[in-house]
Parts: sequence; structure tokens; C-alpha cells
Amino acid sequence: MLNTNEVSKYFICGGSTDNRNRFTLVDTGFNEVPLVYRKYYRAYVGNGDILSENEVLCPVCRVIIRSESTLYPGDKVFCLVCSSWLQVVMDGERRIAIPVFD
Amino acid sequence: MGNMREKYTIQRWLESAPQGYLLDTVYGDTTEQMEPEFILNNDVLLENEIRTTVQIIGGERCALAVSAGLVNYAKDYTTKTFLATQTLDEARHVEVFTQRLIALGVKNEDLEQTISNYINPNLVKFTDILMEKVDKGDFVAAIVGQNIMLEGMAFSVFELLKAVNSRMNVRFASIISGVLADERRHVGFGENYLGDLVSDDTKNKSRIESMQEEMSYHILSSFATSFKHAAGAIKVKQEMPKSNKTPISAVGEWTSPGLKDMSVSDIEMILGGTLIKAFKERLERIGLDYKTPKTPV
Repeated sequence: MLNTNEVSKYFICGGSTDNRNRFTLVDTGFNEVPLVYRKYYRAYVGNGDILSENEVLCPVCRVIIRSESTLYPGDKVFCLVCSSWLQVVMDGERRIAIPVFD
Repeated sequence: MGNMREKYTIQRWLESAPQGYLLDTVYGDTTEQMEPEFILNNDVLLENEIRTTVQIIGGERCALAVSAGLVNYAKDYTTKTFLATQTLDEARHVEVFTQRLIALGVKNEDLEQTISNYINPNLVKFTDILMEKVDKGDFVAAIVGQNIMLEGMAFSVFELLKAVNSRMNVRFASIISGVLADERRHVGFGENYLGDLVSDDTKNKSRIESMQEEMSYHILSSFATSFKHAAGAIKVKQEMPKSNKTPISAVGEWTSPGLKDMSVSDIEMILGGTLIKAFKERLERIGLDYKTPKTPV
């Protein structure tokens, strides 16, 4: 059974939580993490893949991490696939993630 | 923020791999299909598939030896635990790709000779360099060599192979899919473990960068040779009837509709470029500069 505390510890807000759009996530069939976490990830399908405002690409293992709300610079997300902590930053207009080492 | 011990547990590995994406697989395959007849019935394609599979087995045997060898050199039990899971992952890869050689018609008694006949000498040299680091107990260099260089190479190659085979050979694509999932953990461990460890140590940095330059040379040389061998097979595939060609499929940087019309040299150039870009990015993240090797002949 999904433990909310378990999931929330993988998403850390870097700023205000106000005015963030909320997203209902569904399992897209990505099966490389335990069942309860699957809706938080999806496969990256190449250069034409357009990421939503609640998504970032893990640069280490190239899987897309999905949050239940808009991601902003300063937020931290955990990639359960490759066990990397990532920080959300802006690269021009693009929302990207860079690894943060322990 | 993160706790290494919590990140790398056998429990997480069990839930992700054996009880997750590997559930119900048989030798890594979920499709229960045979190797396609158009491969088994064409000598050029069959030899090319055998040759390709042998290179993968060579790389996986190297990774198995290195990860097993490093368990005793790791200084903490979290690292030992991760390397133990990686050792089993690599042993499984050796097994599933060896099983593929059998599926391609290689007899059990001919396995070692077939591997010996087709293995690329540059891949053997790459393995020798890496094993020398393991034998000397040079843990950091060996992790860079294995979890950044070898796994980084495997990552790009498997993405390409998955894109190429996603419709043409679903059995092979299914096997690669599970292996690729394992590789994601391995590259992640390499970067997380190394972090800023290398860049803070000037002496280590230049020594490891020299090793990277030498290893990159052997990787690029092995690709050059492999593509020379594969030229005939790529031409045969490109001339095949439309029904055997891949429709729309994309994995990572690779889109197969684009691949089917490319020349052999174009594919080699793109794969080489993709690999170098990936190496540069991965090395940069752990504080190393990519050293360009001399151009392979």
C-alpha cells in the first residue's frame, strides 16, 4: 500500500507551494521501480519528447520524473531508478535537472 | 538529504528488478518468440548477429569480473552491497546474451571458440586495462572505468540496439530492455559514489583522465571495426521488404525511421558522437575532463 510519507520524501519544494498547478498522475507502464512509485516516472522517448511543467529528465539515467505539482527552480526530486538526487534549474526557457551529490 | 545505505539495499534491488521488470521473464525475454527467420535464414545477417552478441558478452564478462573483483576492495558495506547486486546483474547479462548465441544456432560445445573467434581485440584490451586497476586495488579508477566508461558505453549501445530491434526483433529488444534497466542503476551508482571525489585529488584526476583517454581509444576503435564488419548486414537490412522494417519507434536519442536510410559511416559517426557526448557529460559531472584519444585507424 502506498505510504504518502515514503513518496513525499522524494520531492522537496525549493520555494513557495502556492500557485502550483496540480496533476493527477497515472501509471504509463514504466516498470523499473516498485509498483507504488511507477506513476512518478515515465520512459523518455527521444528528442521530440515534450516535457510538461511537472516533469524533468534525469540526466543520469534518462528517465522522466513526474511530480504531482508544477516543478520550479530550487525544487529537489529523487530519481528512484538510478538513486540520484536532482535539483531543478532553468536553462533558458527549459526546465532541467542537475544531480546533487550527497 | 540522502542516505547511501537506504539507497542501495538488496530489498530495493529485489523490488525493482527480480520482483519488478524481470518478473515472468525467461532468460530476459517476455515475448516467448524465436529469433526472426529472416535472420536465421540469411548467412550475412546471422553472422552479424552472432558477432554483435559476442561483443556484448565480452563487455558483460568484463563487467562481471570487475564488479565481483571490487567487492572486497570497497571500504563500506553499502558499497559492497551495491556491487554484490551489480555482480548478479552482470552475471545475468552474460547468461541471457550467451543464451541468445544458442538461440542463433551456436552449439554449446562451440560457445567459447565462437566468442574467441569474433571478440574484438580492442574490447579485450579495454578489459585488460580495467582488470589491471582491479588487481592493483585502485578502487576509484576501476569505478570510473566500469560505472562511467563501460556502463556509459553500454547505455548508448543498448539504446541504439533497442531502437533498431523494437519491431524487427522483439525478442532481442525485450532482452535489451531489462538489461538497460539494470544499467540505469549502475551508471547512477558510479556518479553518486564518485561525486566530487576525483576532482578534489589532482594526482588521481590526471591519472584517471589518462586511463579514460586510453579506454576511449579502444572503445572507438572497437566501434570502427564493428561497423566495418556490419556493413554488409546493414545493407541487407536496408534493402529488405518494407514488412520487415521498423515502423515508428524511438529510444533515447535514437529514432529508427531515421536509422534505416543512413549509411554505415553515418551510423558509426552518430554513435561515436553520441558516446563521446555522453562520456563528456558524465565525466564533467564527477569533475573530470574528457581527454580526446588519438583517432582510431
